Amino acid sequence: MSTTMPTSRQRSLRTWAFWAVPVLLLLTPLATNAYTQFIVNGMLISILVTLGFTLVIGNLGQLAFANTAFFGIGAYASAILSAKLGLPWIMTIPLAGALGALGGFLASSAALRGIRSYYLAIITLAFGELMRWAYLHTKPLTGGTDGLPLPRETMFGISLSDDTLKFYIFLAVTAVLVKATLNLLRSRFGRAVMAVRENEVATASLAIPTARVILTTFIWSGFLVGCAGALFARHVGHVFPESFGMLHLIASFAMVLVGGLGSVLGAVLGAVVLTALPEYLRAFPGMEELFFGLIVAAVLVAMPMGLASLLRRLSPIFVERYYREES
Amino acid sequence: MSELLQVNGLSVRFSGLTALDDVTFTLEEGAVRAVIGPNGAGKSTLFNAISGYVTPTSGTVHLKGQELTKLTPHEIAEQGVRRTFQNGGLFPALTVLENVLTGLHAQIEGSFLDILLGRSKALKSEAENIHRARELLKLMSMDHMADTRAGDLSGGQQRIVEIVRTVASDPPVLLLDEPAVGLSPVARAQMMEIIHRLAGEKGVGILLIEHAVELVMAAADRILVMAAGARIAEGTPDEIREDRAVLEAYLGHS
Ligand SMILES: Nc1ncnc2c1ncn2[C@@H]1O[C@H](COP(=O)(O)OP(=O)(O)OP(=O)(O)O)[C@@H](O)[C@H]1O
Ligand SMILES: [Mg+2]
Repeated sequence: MSTTMPTSRQRSLRTWAFWAVPVLLLLTPLATNAYTQFIVNGMLISILVTLGFTLVIGNLGQLAFANTAFFGIGAYASAILSAKLGLPWIMTIPLAGALGALGGFLASSAALRGIRSYYLAIITLAFGELMRWAYLHTKPLTGGTDGLPLPRETMFGISLSDDTLKFYIFLAVTAVLVKATLNLLRSRFGRAVMAVRENEVATASLAIPTARVILTTFIWSGFLVGCAGALFARHVGHVFPESFGMLHLIASFAMVLVGGLGSVLGAVLGAVVLTALPEYLRAFPGMEELFFGLIVAAVLVAMPMGLASLLRRLSPIFVERYYREES
Repeated sequence: MSELLQVNGLSVRFSGLTALDDVTFTLEEGAVRAVIGPNGAGKSTLFNAISGYVTPTSGTVHLKGQELTKLTPHEIAEQGVRRTFQNGGLFPALTVLENVLTGLHAQIEGSFLDILLGRSKALKSEAENIHRARELLKLMSMDHMADTRAGDLSGGQQRIVEIVRTVASDPPVLLLDEPAVGLSPVARAQMMEIIHRLAGEKGVGILLIEHAVELVMAAADRILVMAAGARIAEGTPDEIREDRAVLEAYLGHS
């Protein structure tokens, strides 16, 4: 079975479409009310969360579940730096990313010590619970169960509680980080990441330093999700420990799988669809969770490779390749 | 002919079992040296010890006078000793082109930051190496398969792509662990032709593990015969054919 490849015209169409999507999205505030805007902002955050997760479990193939820990670290870092140190929130984004990356480094050190598969899963889950315990028990810093509110702040004379302003900032951050991740994947680095997943022993025989590839993937994943945490802190305006528990992890996992494991397009689709779905299910009060679960299960049974595989079948534009075609 | 690889007194013990017992030989530029021996003779262990996957209990390996023995697998590969795997080492989910590009990993320039930011330095080197990978596939008449998943190829095609990937970086030394196993007679002949060309035209020094004795006799300049971890004979194909120890230990069985 040989796959059809996009023609050069389709490829330029794809490049064009990649930038057209965020540009067109710039117009959404004109067409939505404040409530919808809030949901759309949440989607942008979920895209980064899902992307960071899929990189580690899909592309690298490591059963690590520290993703929600990275998210919480980023959110609390942003809230603490804003509330306790008075840093402008926008500056906390890269710092939250850096601390998320540090979380990624810690998680990778388990994988690099030879802790793999189920053992890595359980140790990274424990890491997530440990972080939650830390948020609860460092009350002076995190506010404990009361959580930590972000201070009022303005940017360009507009309050940061304004969802339209937040939308533009979130969109810029998400578009830049998705693009940077695509650059990584469509390079020798991205190929090395998947080579490690496919056959780690053979990867080393090709002069690829496998340990460094694993380390770097975890760090980049932590960075993405840490940045998403900073956006989330401002999105909700008040961070609580409960936001970073099992429920968030399972929801992110569902986004990864519904979109399509190890696919950037899948991360975007999974995040968008599963963030929007509960809003549509409000029409069935009391049945929301049941329908949500059934729909996720149905998608996975019908499309084990996720929604991205559906698009791939529709057009070769959506086939993801791990090299950069000459332009 | 200049010496590439020097293997000196190489031994490997696995908790009581001596898998490799004091093996010594050299490999010259452009030479094809076959390694034969019954199952469990220690042939793959010899490859693993040379390429850094198992730590030798004693002995040394040098490439052009430089010691490799203490290096890790990816460092040894970077020095120019590249290998294939008995069970096949392709990445099934990646395309043929992507597989060959992994063989060029160390040749592609640009730091992590260059790649992340899409700087032209990284993009230019990537484009050059994509071009190179396509040329290599063309040489093996595999260019029409460039975008096929490696896992969807036939067994013979997979073996060929694995060799293309392994030689893509122009390594001076190549270790091939049963590259022709499971191939049809036609594909086997093709494989031997490829091996001949690599040694003859590019001067690659090749170590070749192969079970089919007729193939070995035709393809190799010299043959190393192993049994129970030890070298029991060494010589040209004609010398090996006459060797009594070999007849008893190995050829007698087949
Ligand atoms: N990692 C290991 N740990 C323990 N024993 C090993 C290991 N690798 C190989 N052995 C043992 O060392 C001996 C030599 O094995 P090796 O794979 O080198 O043989 P071979 O000559 O390649 O055989 P074949 O022709 O079947 O591939 C065997 O008895 C094998 O079981
Ligand atoms: Mg073997």
